[in-house]
Amino acid sequence: MSGADSQAALPRPIGSAGPLPAAIDGIRRVNRAPALLAGAFALTVLVSLPLAVAMRGLLAQHLGDSLAADSAAGGVNYDWMQEFADQATGLGVTFKPTIIGFGAVLDNLSAFLDNTSRPVVVVAAASIYVLGWLFLAGGIIDRLARDRATRASGFFSACGVFFFRFLRLAATQWIVYAFLFGAVHPWLFVGLYPRLIHDVTVERTAFMLRVALYLVFGVLVATCSMIFDYAKVRAVVEDRRSMLGSINAAIGFVWRNAAAAVLLFALDFLLFVVAIAIYGLVAPGAGGRGLMVGAAFALGQVYVAGRLWVKLVFWSSETALFQSRLAHAGYVARPEPAWPDSPAADMM
Amino acid sequence: MPRMRLASFAALTFTLVTTTASAQPTATGTLDPARSPRNASYTITARLDPATRTITGSETITWRNITQKATTDLQFHLYWNAWKNPRSTFMREQALSGFGSEVVRRPDEWAHMDIGSVTVGGVDRTASRRFVNLDDDNANDETVMQVPLASPILPGATATIAVTWTAHVPRTFARTGAVGNFFFIAQWFPKLGVLQEEGWNCHQFHSGTEFFSDYGVYDVSLSVPAGWPIGATGVERERRDDGSHTVHRFYQEDVHDFAWTTSPDYLVRTARFEHPTLPPVEMRLLLQPEHERQAERHFDATRTTLKYYGEWFGPYPYGHITIVDPAFQSGAGGMEYPTLFTAGTRWLAPPRVTTPEGVTVHEAGHQFWYGIVGSNEFEDAWMDEGFNTFSTARAIAQVYDPNFLVLRYFGGFIPWVFRDIALGRETEGNRLAGYRHDARSDAQSTPSFRYFPSSGGSITYNKTALWLNTLERWRGWPTLQRIMSTYFARWQFKHPKPQDFFAVANEVSGQDLTPFFDEVYRSSNVFDYGIADLKSVREGDLYHTTVVVRRYGEARWPDFLRVVIDFRNGKQVLELQRWEESDRWKAYVYDGPAQALSAQVDPNGVLLLDVNYTNNSKTLAPRSGAAATKWSTQWMVWLQECLLSWAALA
Repeated sequence: MSGADSQAALPRPIGSAGPLPAAIDGIRRVNRAPALLAGAFALTVLVSLPLAVAMRGLLAQHLGDSLAADSAAGGVNYDWMQEFADQATGLGVTFKPTIIGFGAVLDNLSAFLDNTSRPVVVVAAASIYVLGWLFLAGGIIDRLARDRATRASGFFSACGVFFFRFLRLAATQWIVYAFLFGAVHPWLFVGLYPRLIHDVTVERTAFMLRVALYLVFGVLVATCSMIFDYAKVRAVVEDRRSMLGSINAAIGFVWRNAAAAVLLFALDFLLFVVAIAIYGLVAPGAGGRGLMVGAAFALGQVYVAGRLWVKLVFWSSETALFQSRLAHAGYVARPEPAWPDSPAADMM
Repeated sequence: MPRMRLASFAALTFTLVTTTASAQPTATGTLDPARSPRNASYTITARLDPATRTITGSETITWRNITQKATTDLQFHLYWNAWKNPRSTFMREQALSGFGSEVVRRPDEWAHMDIGSVTVGGVDRTASRRFVNLDDDNANDETVMQVPLASPILPGATATIAVTWTAHVPRTFARTGAVGNFFFIAQWFPKLGVLQEEGWNCHQFHSGTEFFSDYGVYDVSLSVPAGWPIGATGVERERRDDGSHTVHRFYQEDVHDFAWTTSPDYLVRTARFEHPTLPPVEMRLLLQPEHERQAERHFDATRTTLKYYGEWFGPYPYGHITIVDPAFQSGAGGMEYPTLFTAGTRWLAPPRVTTPEGVTVHEAGHQFWYGIVGSNEFEDAWMDEGFNTFSTARAIAQVYDPNFLVLRYFGGFIPWVFRDIALGRETEGNRLAGYRHDARSDAQSTPSFRYFPSSGGSITYNKTALWLNTLERWRGWPTLQRIMSTYFARWQFKHPKPQDFFAVANEVSGQDLTPFFDEVYRSSNVFDYGIADLKSVREGDLYHTTVVVRRYGEARWPDFLRVVIDFRNGKQVLELQRWEESDRWKAYVYDGPAQALSAQVDPNGVLLLDVNYTNNSKTLAPRSGAAATKWSTQWMVWLQECLLSWAALA
């Protein structure tokens, strides 16, 4: 029996947090670590900026010295957008009206739920981005779990320690998500859904059936996501080396604390919905020029930061819940490394 | 003076009669005097069994040979046999255009039309019938039936033809069939082709084209389950119970087809179109319950069509029209039939978006371009679809401007309106983007059924709309309106051919437009004029400015081409030059006190067929950097959003 399992067998500590306190605690921990948000934001910008620069080049090249650029700069030149789309290849094919304002959010949410394929270059960027998160995850969860400043050395030490462990975890994740998106989704939406609506003549009914399948698929993805989150949390907090063991332990934790874990996930998901809803209300269009362009971009970045904050709150609140149930706030099994003994320093 | 008083009285009486006639609904199915030759009239009796999805029918055709030649055979369309199996010409062409999934159907979802008997003048010719496939020699195609005659039918002679048949209603193909308890029944009876001087014009059923038939009188009795609302071509003249069924008798003169629909779910709404100078029209709407709130949008769009098409081209003469809102998944939406059409909308249909208005105006508009002017949709589909796409865009612009781009998400159910993108008539209404993509795929003069299946629509609909609108911007709307109304008046209830329209255009415009039609109709060349170079450098006290205009496309604009050069001191130079066949470029040189600012070819966008507008101009103060920055930042937020979606799984 592992130490973690021994802990799991102990009676619940008195005063263990429920989902709402865990969520609040999670929010508090993220707010006390603004560097984490800044780092996540920096990663997002680092991955997206080169592609944005490349896209800028494509657009500028197509416009050339044309007067069409005037109307494109000052508003929306839809005719030009269509001309561009007609000759676009590679990255350029993603330049469509759906990128404007809240359309971007709907497009991506819809693509996620409908399992829409993306161009190779976007998939490559997303893979690099996910890799970046895998690297940062150990440091982020370690910082959130300790709930005190770990400084760069401590942060990157944890990143280094857990990166290869999380790569192994990611292999399992990849298999599970590949199964969900590659087998379950087609079964639900290509196989089952057409059969369910075969004789349906009312669009509203068909939509409700689709929503039901979205819920089924969403619950499956959310469940897996939650388990993998707790696997990371347990790996960091309990300094686990076996990722299969972490997954097993995470399943055990979620199983024994199902109500709390699910409610907490729902609360965090509510934050996600609120972030999207707020952006839906304020998302700018594309009609502006000059400073308005900058303001629209800034608003977009605030939204991206908000989404990143929500992602951190997921991990943070899950860490808080786990610590409150099986340990105590701030508990991390692995001692905080001190420079220059950290693995990161060794690598240097 | 008595004579003058008599004349005044006669004039007054005439005016009163005319006014009264136009004020009263004429929804009786009759048109007096006859508007068409009425040489192919059908009396049909049919019964629908929804449980087995079977139609059992018999028809008597009174057909008159209006050509100068005797015929020794009859040719019938059996359209539903196109959906008998995947080997028909229709299905093969559909597979070629990428609709292979159509073949994945249950056996009972295919169709067939089986002939029981054929008699001509009382002589049984059933045994002599055979299938012919002159378009493509596809021996598996059974959509055209030839019946050799015992004795020829001479010019001017009339034959009475009796046919019995049974047909299985498919799950919808090409807007025809059933889903659940919704039935839309079109191209459903054995139908004669059109005998012309060259012989029978009776093509096989092709996936990219529609239909062609003679005008006549339709008297059709349909037996459907009792209590099921029904809509059909013509006016319902009689209704009687027949056990579990009700027999509805519809009647209409001067039409060339008959379609009908029934479903227990239909809501029935009525309204009326009135106009100071056009005849009134009773409108009947068969509506899906989930679209109940959109009833007025359907009526309003139909009114828009009857008003503008009526004012521009000519009046709608039938006095009644039936609008069908098809069921979800029926695939029956967006199709025209005489005095009846299918629209098509969505459960969520935001305002300022032309759903359902766009399709409603278009299909109602087909009453004019297809219904009244009966061009050959097999061979010259552009003459109805293209004319109507142009007319639709023009009518929409009168009433529904601005309307905005809508995209649909989450399986296509949830709409989002992009209020930054107002859809313009000239490019969006005429569907320039689709044309640009397929511009070289076929010459328009190729028979429509021979167009490449997946790109034929762009040549049929989009290219025609674009060249008509180009004609409008070039010669002016009054001229084009007179061309189209003259063509409408001259060819209503007839079968015009392309040269008939071109002849009217030349005659009414007073100009030989042949070079224009050579480019847009007889070739697949594309127009693409552009500013290849703009330089303006200081030489001494003057600026030396050079503008090079190039013809990148093969098509040549047949009139003077307009080039405008703007200078920094506000001066503008207009160049008007005719380009000869061999001209691929022209250079303009100026020496003046001010530097040039920009140059534009076709600055007013007359030539809507130009496949590349972006190269139509150059400026020495380009803003492409600012535009690219603006749009790449928009795109960057989208990309970041996309990355976050993936990161949710990390």
